[in-house]
Amino acid sequence: MTNNLQKKERTAVSSNPILAVENLSKSYGDLRILKDVSVAIEAGDFLVLVGPSGCGKSTLLGCIGGLTEVTSGNIQIDGQDVTHTDPAKRDIAMVFQSYALFPNMSVGDNIGFGLEVRKVPKAERDKKISQVAELLKIEPLLDRAPAQLSGGQRQRVAMGRALVRDPKLFLFDEPLSNLDAKLRVTMRTEIKRLHQRLNASIIYVTHDQIEAMTLATKIVVMKDGVIQQVGTPREIYDTPANIFVADFMGSPAMNILVADVTMDGLMARIEIAREDGQEPLILYDPNPGEGIASRPAGALKIGLRPEALTDLGSRSVNAEQQFDCLLDVVEPAGSDTFAVIRLGGTEVTARMHGDVDVNSGDTVPICFDLSKISYFDPKSGERL
Amino acid sequence: MHRSLFASFALYSAALLLTLFTLAPLVWLVLMSISSPNDLTSVPLNWWPTEVDLSRYGHLVDLNNGAGHRFLAALRNSLLTAGGATLIALIVAVPAAYAFSRRGASLALLFVFLATIMMPPITYVLPLYEIFGGLGALNKTTTLIIVYSAMLLPFATWLMKSNIDVLPVEIEQAAFMEGASTAFTLRRVVLPLALPAIAATCMLSFLVAWDEFFYALIFTSDLSAKTLPVAIADFSAGRVTDYGVIASVGVLATLPPAILAICFQRFIVSGLAAGSVKG
Amino acid sequence: MSAISRSREKWVLLFPAILVLSLITVLPFLQTVWTSFTDAEITAREQQVNWIGLENYIWALTDPDFLEALGRTMYFTVVSVGLEGVLGIAVALLLNQKFRGRWFLRVIIILPWAVPTIVNAVAWRLIYHPDYGALNSLLLQLGFIDSYTSWLGDPDRALNMVILADVWKNFPLVAYIALAAMQTIPGDLLKAAAIEGAGAWKRFHSITLPWIIGPMLVVLILRTIEAFRVFDIIYVMTRGGPSDGTKTASFYVYQEYFSYLRSGSGASYAVVVAGISAVLILAYYAGIRRDQRGA
Ligand SMILES: Nc1ncnc2c1ncn2[C@@H]1O[C@H](COP(=O)(O)OP(=O)(O)OP(=O)(O)O)[C@@H](O)[C@H]1O
Ligand SMILES: [Mg+2]
Repeated sequence: MTNNLQKKERTAVSSNPILAVENLSKSYGDLRILKDVSVAIEAGDFLVLVGPSGCGKSTLLGCIGGLTEVTSGNIQIDGQDVTHTDPAKRDIAMVFQSYALFPNMSVGDNIGFGLEVRKVPKAERDKKISQVAELLKIEPLLDRAPAQLSGGQRQRVAMGRALVRDPKLFLFDEPLSNLDAKLRVTMRTEIKRLHQRLNASIIYVTHDQIEAMTLATKIVVMKDGVIQQVGTPREIYDTPANIFVADFMGSPAMNILVADVTMDGLMARIEIAREDGQEPLILYDPNPGEGIASRPAGALKIGLRPEALTDLGSRSVNAEQQFDCLLDVVEPAGSDTFAVIRLGGTEVTARMHGDVDVNSGDTVPICFDLSKISYFDPKSGERL
Repeated sequence: MHRSLFASFALYSAALLLTLFTLAPLVWLVLMSISSPNDLTSVPLNWWPTEVDLSRYGHLVDLNNGAGHRFLAALRNSLLTAGGATLIALIVAVPAAYAFSRRGASLALLFVFLATIMMPPITYVLPLYEIFGGLGALNKTTTLIIVYSAMLLPFATWLMKSNIDVLPVEIEQAAFMEGASTAFTLRRVVLPLALPAIAATCMLSFLVAWDEFFYALIFTSDLSAKTLPVAIADFSAGRVTDYGVIASVGVLATLPPAILAICFQRFIVSGLAAGSVKG
Repeated sequence: MSAISRSREKWVLLFPAILVLSLITVLPFLQTVWTSFTDAEITAREQQVNWIGLENYIWALTDPDFLEALGRTMYFTVVSVGLEGVLGIAVALLLNQKFRGRWFLRVIIILPWAVPTIVNAVAWRLIYHPDYGALNSLLLQLGFIDSYTSWLGDPDRALNMVILADVWKNFPLVAYIALAAMQTIPGDLLKAAAIEGAGAWKRFHSITLPWIIGPMLVVLILRTIEAFRVFDIIYVMTRGGPSDGTKTASFYVYQEYFSYLRSGSGASYAVVVAGISAVLILAYYAGIRRDQRGA
């Protein structure tokens, strides 16, 4: 399973996707669930699919796995068109949210089910089962029934069942969502380690954007059956394609506010209104990019991550972009302290050091870091 | 809320009356089967047997006795017919139920299935009689098994379908993902999960077949295939002078379904409710 | 699984069931319909079968005996199902009360249902026996009658006596379904009504009955369909007698076939009976649809 050769290949091959979904649509009657979805991943990729509940993530996964018939479009796995192929013949393994273990079989039989179907001789089957059990540290459980396992153990068995066959592609549908918070973090690390070790190709559905950020080599953000953005976690985080993505990824969410943007030489001058007759905030972005430079002056929506609004302690270098702000609410969260400020007609969140000594109602200087500012069209919400 | 004395009285009287109405015919049947012929023919009746007479039961399980021979042959035929038909009906019903539950087969077709058993058997019986007659298959247990399995099939399909509906679909999907065929998944995954439903379906089907009279009356003519209901009808129509014999055959024929009904009441009542109310 | 193989597989799974039902029910039914337009008879020798159009039907629908049998069947059906409905609801109301020994009643109520139809018929025939029957003896000892009566010997009374036997066997099913429906009534609803001052009858009439009416309707239509084809109990208890007083439609067709061996006209009677059943079956599905929409 661990295969160095494959790892080398991976860097060489780049235009040969392990999975390519092209213009996939899926409707139930008049209800269009997936609309013209196209996505591709390469061998070794860890693609995470995120989006709000009901946006069609499981449906897309079902289409890729062959559990759901597609309405139009096509799906290729390793260069072969599998749009109308049996799930059995796609060489895919899937880990379900509910684990979907066979309750009437022991853990060992669960893991070996795929091999039993393929009529692998018993001896070889047992060998592979024990290898996988060792990898997942579940050797002592092999003779138990699924009902006798804890949530985390079931999770491992479900993964074991997927791993044992060494398939071309793994599908995970919210595999950690039934675990408690602590176990979820442990399993997350474990899945990441497994991915690195096996260099498997994985598509992973989750609600949880932290899971997405930590696991993915590539993230797909979906909304209402339409792909909003595809990119590395950094790209998604730093340059969200639209306000929806900006808002959805990151916790606390990106601050989106209305501002007047005009060009002042090569810099963009950003004016943000404040309440209660306070002076408006004037910020300067030294590298606004072509999109902004060529635009007529006017109101835009800008996006600033909470960490772009911070206390002096962290960033004294940029002292000129610094303003006194009234902290509406202060929420200490251990390593960080979050503060809510009223700016540009909305509430924005600033992320300060965990050890700053501030209270609700204080007015303190806040530094604005515009190096990662995003501009959005106020009407369409698209990135400029 | 506290009941008034009068309400309590009315309630317990009603309960007593219901108990009497329900049990009296059965108790009398049992008493007849153990009373001496003299007790049974006195006017007015001797309600309580002067002495317990179990000889009829002894005769009925004795192959060398005429009545016993007929009874045991009919018992064998009934067991074979009801058992065989239940088995075939289940084997045919499970895949069909799966098609209705998981493969989007039209429910209208299921309603057509069910409509076929709601029709009076009198609509089917003559052509069947002629066909089986032409094949020389009258008076054969196999023939009854075939007819009964068609009679049991729609209900069994319906019951299995509603039970498969509530099984978690992801477990089957997991099997498909692992490469299993539908047949393999049915055998290794669905059937074990549906075992309680299968047991309930088998039991109800068996009881229906055990009870069937009309087809058996027409398609069988002697001891080689006659089932218990037909045999009992014969007993009661024949020139039996001892009514206790008829009663004891009735008691024996009632025992298996009565025991099943008491032991598996929950199963049966919910099965009946599913079959009749949910359609 | 691909769209094509999946829909093909559906038919593979359904094939055995469709085959069995086609051979044992659908084809015979079509054959019966065809026969009903002929003058076929049941004989051992080769016979010439002639197509005679609607003649059988004209005969059937003007045959007073057959129409009487149909009327008798309807009487049997309406009275026994009506009694089962009333008795079933009454028993369910009783079993829904709390009292000592309730569990016992709930258990034994299933017994009449478990008694095979034929045993039920035989048992009641013995109970009704004109010379040694338990009913005669009981009523005489209680002083209700002066001398033994032939309960099944009177054409006007026999059918009612058969109905009593049929109701005894079939009320448990109705009672269980009414009880199951009653148990889903939220207790608060009845309590609230009681606090509002609604009496027992008012509570039954405006809460319980509307709540259970859907399932009751469905089970009673189902019972109607069953009662309409009544045969076994008649065969054992009275053979249609005395003087045809209990001859129901199914029994009539049975005799036409197997006593008079006239398959053509028998088939036309059968088709008429089937047509009425079909109407009832459609009513049944309409009832289910209504019930499910209501739920
Ligand atoms: N068989 C079906 N028939 C009709 N609609 C369906 C069917 N299956 C799913 N849907 C609809 O498709 C939409 C997408 O469902 P899907 O399960 O893919 O969402 P999801 O993104 O996985 O959501 P979640 O995060 O809650 O799991 C939902 O609105 C759902 O109601
Ligand atoms: Mg989902």
